[in-house]
Amino acid sequence: MSKIEKALKRAGEERGNLQVVAPAAPEGRTAPWTALVGQQVERPETISRMAENEHKLLSAEELWVRGIIHPQQTKEPAVQVFRELRTKISQQSQGQNAVILVAAVSGGNGASFIARNLAAAFAFDSAKTALLVDCNLRNPSVHELIPDTSLPGLADYFENPEIAVSKIIHPVGIARLRAIATGRLRENPAEYFVSTKMRRLIDSLRERFRERFIILDGPPMSDIADARILSELSDYVLVVARHGRATNAQIENGLSAISSSKLLGIVFNDEPRIPWLR
Amino acid sequence: MYPEQIVKVLINESFHSRWLVVGMFVIMNVVVLTAGLLWPKSYTGSTSIVVDEKSIMEPLMKGAAVATETQDRNRNAREVILGRSIMGKVVERAGLADHPTASEQEGLFEKIKARTTVIPVGRDVIKIEYRDSDQNRALFVTKAFADLFLEEMIAQKESDTRAAFDFIDKQAQEYQQKLTAAEEELRQLRSSNLDARPGSEIELSARLIALNTRIENTTMELREAEMKYASLERQVNGEAEVSVLATREAQFRARIAELQAKLDTLRLTFLDTHPDIVQLKHQIQDLRAEAVAQRERRDSAKPSDRVEGDETVVNNPVYQQLRRELSQSRLTIDTLKARIAEARRLVQEEVNRGKGLHGGEARLVELTRDYQINREIYQDLLHRRERARVSINMDSDRQSASFKILDPATATLSPSTPRFWQFVLGGLMLGVLVPLGFLFTRLQFDPRVRLANSISERHKVQVAATVPHLWSPVELTGLRKELAILALVVTATLALSATLSVVRFLGIL
Repeated sequence: MSKIEKALKRAGEERGNLQVVAPAAPEGRTAPWTALVGQQVERPETISRMAENEHKLLSAEELWVRGIIHPQQTKEPAVQVFRELRTKISQQSQGQNAVILVAAVSGGNGASFIARNLAAAFAFDSAKTALLVDCNLRNPSVHELIPDTSLPGLADYFENPEIAVSKIIHPVGIARLRAIATGRLRENPAEYFVSTKMRRLIDSLRERFRERFIILDGPPMSDIADARILSELSDYVLVVARHGRATNAQIENGLSAISSSKLLGIVFNDEPRIPWLR
Repeated sequence: MYPEQIVKVLINESFHSRWLVVGMFVIMNVVVLTAGLLWPKSYTGSTSIVVDEKSIMEPLMKGAAVATETQDRNRNAREVILGRSIMGKVVERAGLADHPTASEQEGLFEKIKARTTVIPVGRDVIKIEYRDSDQNRALFVTKAFADLFLEEMIAQKESDTRAAFDFIDKQAQEYQQKLTAAEEELRQLRSSNLDARPGSEIELSARLIALNTRIENTTMELREAEMKYASLERQVNGEAEVSVLATREAQFRARIAELQAKLDTLRLTFLDTHPDIVQLKHQIQDLRAEAVAQRERRDSAKPSDRVEGDETVVNNPVYQQLRRELSQSRLTIDTLKARIAEARRLVQEEVNRGKGLHGGEARLVELTRDYQINREIYQDLLHRRERARVSINMDSDRQSASFKILDPATATLSPSTPRFWQFVLGGLMLGVLVPLGFLFTRLQFDPRVRLANSISERHKVQVAATVPHLWSPVELTGLRKELAILALVVTATLALSATLSVVRFLGIL
């Protein structure tokens, strides 16, 4: 549990249902979300509006079945790990929202798992929101989280200029977490990311909700072109390597595709641990 | 990596590859248990033998001859034990095969050789070990090996002793012959050279000295005689054969001398004018004249020899005397010469005899020396022969302690192969160690990444997070089932091991 969360929890217990948020920034991007504990501020409009739009939230068990962490699973080591990772990114971005690309060194390394759980971990914090964008066009997975698969997604946004950004962002049953699925894909979706529209989309998403962390569920690094473009669009990159799957050559190859200034590090996924021995 | 990290990693990897680990555990156990069941039982028979393989020649010939170096004891023993003669008898005695063909026998020999070990224990002890699946056979073969080896060695030693005795005996006989021959030669030499006896030479030299002395003395005498003879001869030449003329003249001269003396005496007292003196002078003058006349007469009368012989022809007695002595002297000279010649002949004779005596004596010394040496060697050989005879008797009575069984043949009561429980234990250990070893090796050599540390070390990139597997409820249920099945498999394997151990212990299998 991060310091902020601990502080929030304690504040809630001591002084009633007070929300701790950052003071409104005078101009442009918001100041870091580092409010002092006990400092009474107004709930930001975005989050309150978001709360109104929340559909039925999924229970901890339902999330668990879907392979998504929940703050109540305090005994689960993975929860702890994702919280720490979130805190690390938070510190790195100095409290500002950021665009984080999560890409595996090759297919089957579990980048989608890491991306959605990182998004969920950001959404733990009631002062933050998270947006999960499925950028893995060849092997999409975010749509599984969205109850209605017929809803428009990224491809629809690119194909149809009349669709507004807000139309492709959908709730997934987790508080403060929204997702953009791939939508109905054309045969050759490769040119989406090179278009200026993609850059505009990312910028608008970033600017629209200042407390929102955008997590891009990226394609494998073996698809170097897409991975490189997406890494340029993002603030940070996390490279996912799975135990017993990723080879050193693949890691080497993946690391060569991204600039080291954006690289947050490697996420070593699926480390075997006996579940009852914690 | 630190040891505790390795342990942790191995535990996690084992869990991850649980089917593989359990599978290997089961396979290792089954393989080792099967090996334990099928492993042929082996009993080891062993015996120790004291071997003092010093050649019999060595002590017997000590000091007299240099023995050849003894061979490497253990190699020799091994060669004897695994030699064809003993091996054949062992096969026969232990009843390993009935009337085997040559190739069968060869195979059997090779088998026995492979199962037999000859180990040197200390300096003089060898240990024979034989392994066999049958306890009794192991015992029989070991016993047969020991007995036959002992028999062989004793026989060999007996033959050695016999050979040594024969050799010494032969030598003794040879020396006896030499001695006899030397004695015979000595006897012949003595009979042919009677003088040839100790002291002859001293006697001879004494005699030679005496003879030489005699020759010298006689020679001196001869010289004297010759001188005397020469002197006599000279005297005889000076003396007149007749003495008459000499007598008248001498008478005149004597008268003159007498008168002269008388004259001299008177002159001391009287003057020359004294009548006596004058008379005397006249008389002397007359006498001289007479004497001259006489001489002239005699000289003129000489050619006619005895012109006036009738007057004084008388043989001169001095002359006669001298003639006699001269003759006597010649006789003496002749006698002395004869004596010297005789003495010289004797000396020559003695010298000749001495020469013979020298040769004889040198030969005698040589023969005596040979004889003495031969006699010494012969006596020594006689002593040795007696000792060899005693050795033979000792060997035949088995009194010699050179070879004996120190430790009678025994066979182990329980098989010397690993016990079944050892196989069970080995199976369990291998069942754990082999999968762990495999996992460890895989960690080292698999190109796929299995350790977060290795990524950061190798790629110089920090590991932002190490995410453990998130077990969904369905997965957990499946995992529980899986683990139950694996536990069952492991339990079944352990039960199999335990059951087989009990069955084996009870002797059913």
